[in-house]
Amino acid sequence: MDIRLKEIIESLIFVSLEPLSLEKIKSLLADFPAEEIEKAVAELLQSYASNQRGIQIVQAAGGFLFTTKPDYDGYIRQLLEREKKSRLSSAALEALSIIAYHQPVTLAQISALRGVDSSQAVRTLLEKNLIKIAGRKKAPGKPFLYRTTKKFLTYFGLNSLDDLPREDELASLLEKKQGKDDVSL
Amino acid sequence: MALRTDKNEPSYEVRLDFFEGPLDLLLFLIRQKKINIHDIPIAMITKEYLEYLDKKQHLNLEHEAEFLLMAAILIYIKSQMLLPREKKEGWEEDPRQPLVEKLLDYERIKQISQLLRAKEDLQIKLWTRQDHPISFRRKEEAEIDLEEVSIFDLAEKFFSLLKTQQEDLQPFASKRQYSIEDKIQEILTILNQEGFLDFTDYFYRHSSLEEALVGFFSLLELIKRKIVVALQDNLFQTIRVWIIKGKTDGYPA
Repeated sequence: MDIRLKEIIESLIFVSLEPLSLEKIKSLLADFPAEEIEKAVAELLQSYASNQRGIQIVQAAGGFLFTTKPDYDGYIRQLLEREKKSRLSSAALEALSIIAYHQPVTLAQISALRGVDSSQAVRTLLEKNLIKIAGRKKAPGKPFLYRTTKKFLTYFGLNSLDDLPREDELASLLEKKQGKDDVSL
Repeated sequence: MALRTDKNEPSYEVRLDFFEGPLDLLLFLIRQKKINIHDIPIAMITKEYLEYLDKKQHLNLEHEAEFLLMAAILIYIKSQMLLPREKKEGWEEDPRQPLVEKLLDYERIKQISQLLRAKEDLQIKLWTRQDHPISFRRKEEAEIDLEEVSIFDLAEKFFSLLKTQQEDLQPFASKRQYSIEDKIQEILTILNQEGFLDFTDYFYRHSSLEEALVGFFSLLELIKRKIVVALQDNLFQTIRVWIIKGKTDGYPA
């Protein structure tokens, strides 16, 4: 393998502001065989996964991206003079959960599942670009249908929608979590 | 019950024991009393539910109507259970069944949101180069990396400006009519002379509500045609409109 290959890929990911996909890397490095590129990427990930580094390469929305490690959030916020990044409201998060698993869905379906009107929650999600309008339903009133966006994936650190646990896996996943930190309501 | 003490948290997140809606409250009561969800004692749960409603504690009162509607549904179910039911071919439907299904669906949604919340809590601690405030790495005038402003943000800004100016703005200016075409020309002239247009300053140039609205629609039209772009400085929250180079075709200023 060309000794520089790993370094070239590292520099490309470093410069990218958005997650850089493997396909994009391959198209930029057309001179190199695809399997060598894949091997170099794997080795690069490996070397960053080891300790002694403050930054890491994460896979999000189908690409690679440099981020800092979570433990150093406090120091970074001091440097940038930023407050803690705000979280979504519970209402928005519930609406988003429904959209993620049932997309495409209408506002009426979301509100019915939550048992409360969810127009405000959906508006917030649209503003934050976590969901988008994906056409209209062929039903009376032709209501809008909503889908999650690529930003949804990066926001939650998901590589693709398949990264979400299947509904039948949820119960066991949460039991494990419950055991760890015993979430009380 | 855990109360958040972190002062940086937005206020709406302060109470964790806040019921989003009637299903949330019902589910809490059922789990708290360790009731079998497939065999809910309706009389008892209705009483508990109404007590919460009376106290209005821990309830999201934006959804007061929905909380009340659920109380009515509970009482209706109770009445249905007292009545002798019609048997359909030996099989009788439990009047509680539709509610149980709703509760189970909602519980699954809560589980998914818990999962997403855990992911969010981790992700908001990660920083990428994109999160960097502009002023930190660039001089003031090098604006190319500013964030593009969505239509929602522009509309929100516009309406908040309208609110502050409500008393000073006349609905209509006398004897003057404004057209989108004229306003587009005006915006392009400002852009050519000054390089950019400050969204707030531009708003204050208007003398009537009508003019402000026409001006805003003209701006949206220019953005839609990709002739201009609205960018926001993440640090100072100022919105400025810039011309996209070589895109004045059809609009010689």
